[in-house]
Amino acid sequence: MAFEDVWKKISWLYYQYILVTALYMLEPWERAIFNSILISVAGMAVYTGYVFMPQHIMAILQYFEMVQ
Amino acid sequence: RAKPRVGTFRYMTNGLGLYSRPFIESFEETPMLVAVLTYMGYGILTIFGYLRDFLRDWKIERCHVAREREEQRDFVPLYQDFENFYTRNLYMRIRDSWNRPICSVPGAKVDLVERVSPDYNWTFDYTGKVVEGVINMGSYNYLGFAENTGYCADASAEVTMKYGVGVASTRQEMGNLDRHEEMEELVAKFLGVESAMAFGMGFATNSMNIPALTGKGCLILSDELNHASLVLGARLSGSTIRVFKHNNMQSLEKMLRDAIVHGQPRTHRPWKKILILVEGIYSMEGSIVRLPEVIALKKRYRAYLYLDEAHSIGALGPGGRGVVDYFGLDPRDVDVMMGTFTKSFGAAGGYIGGRKELLEYLRSHSHSAVYAASMSPPVVEQIIASMKCIMGEDGTTLGRDRVQQLAENTLYFRRRLTEMGFIIYGNNDSPVVPMMLYMPAKIGAFGREMLKRNIGVVVVGFPATPIIESRARFCISAAHTKDMLDTALSVISEVGDLLQVKYSRHKRLIYDQIQD
Repeated sequence: MAFEDVWKKISWLYYQYILVTALYMLEPWERAIFNSILISVAGMAVYTGYVFMPQHIMAILQYFEMVQ
Repeated sequence: RAKPRVGTFRYMTNGLGLYSRPFIESFEETPMLVAVLTYMGYGILTIFGYLRDFLRDWKIERCHVAREREEQRDFVPLYQDFENFYTRNLYMRIRDSWNRPICSVPGAKVDLVERVSPDYNWTFDYTGKVVEGVINMGSYNYLGFAENTGYCADASAEVTMKYGVGVASTRQEMGNLDRHEEMEELVAKFLGVESAMAFGMGFATNSMNIPALTGKGCLILSDELNHASLVLGARLSGSTIRVFKHNNMQSLEKMLRDAIVHGQPRTHRPWKKILILVEGIYSMEGSIVRLPEVIALKKRYRAYLYLDEAHSIGALGPGGRGVVDYFGLDPRDVDVMMGTFTKSFGAAGGYIGGRKELLEYLRSHSHSAVYAASMSPPVVEQIIASMKCIMGEDGTTLGRDRVQQLAENTLYFRRRLTEMGFIIYGNNDSPVVPMMLYMPAKIGAFGREMLKRNIGVVVVGFPATPIIESRARFCISAAHTKDMLDTALSVISEVGDLLQVKYSRHKRLIYDQIQD
């Protein structure tokens, strides 16, 4: 039951995303291209953040002289 | 933020003194986020449009658009490809919301022919089924005269039996029937003018008669949002055209003063005549012209007024006599009263009314009178019958009831829609209700979702409206019962929640204070 509601909510959110970005009007293969480009760019951003975040945090803390 | 504008007028008089009733219209501003997202949506569609054009050009994809033949590829191009970019790549994708074939009378309910498209709207196939009983919120059927039963239809059928359908001539030659003369006298009486003349097509009435009225050396002051027929007529006439801001009396007065002070552009001679072109109700905005102020300006600065009442005749005013009746003004103040029979009378064609000398001049000098075929007898009879009904001359109160029903329906529908939270443009009393959608995908989605739930609406986008201000336009009819309106409203609310188009940022309480 809860899974059905969650699925409906996600489906509604996807419909809103499709409407706002005008992907609603595009054919399925065009939507696939746009979604894959968007997911790959977002994925790359998340991965870069994951890899470099510890280094950045250490650099900030060293700047504020909280840790050597 | 919404700015409810009551008539104000800085230069001449306080506008409130000219209006006998409150003039309330509102055009709520586009929310900033919605505007940004709309531009983003159009940007994405443009990029994919370029991609598809590239694929078509390199023959990777089949091209459905018009192209020259192979032998003519080196000639001067016949089809300008880029001009049709919008049509090919944006309009075609949601084309199934327009040109829907109808197979019954477009009354309050209509039957549509069902069609599907296997190749994304380039071609359509008919499934053979008919979608019945679709509530019709798109037809210009303000007084409900689009019907195939009743007094008007019977009268038209009788006249067809007597005169046939075709007239086979122009008005000047052998096409002037006695029914035409009777109709013109009736129209003149209905409007309260000395004389009137009718033409076969409303668009042609404007575009063919304005050139007969003005020429080189004249000035035309035309509203920003005038209809294509008025713009075409003004351009064909060869006069100088200046455009004033929509319904803005300060802009109009400034232009009049400049015109009179400076005269014609290089020679500074006075203008031969100045003609102001306005419409009664603007169909894309739902706004009503500020007629008392326009007439006051016209009298002060000695200009002529051409009023196009295409949507307002029959739909406004206590007697259904149009925008002049609505404001309680004298019809003799308007020099040229033009209107159409397509909207409130259930017929086709247009008319021009005015003084006797003007009409005698037009009868011999108008292109439409001299060259166009005259109106068909059943159409003429429908006009006569419906006009008599509205005036009350057929002995029933049907006309008066319909006018009142339309006014009630309009107020109710507008009030409920604004309460629901949609952005609605226009004047409180106008039966044309534009509801803003803004985003391009929501244009197509709204049309399709409403049809799935058995309601037919008209959605409009670029180029009929500015690029981000696409809308759905509802036309209220006296034939709609309260039940139909309630059904339609609940469906509109449901679809509005599904598509998230309830953009309005404040609740309107003003409607509760106005209960006539």
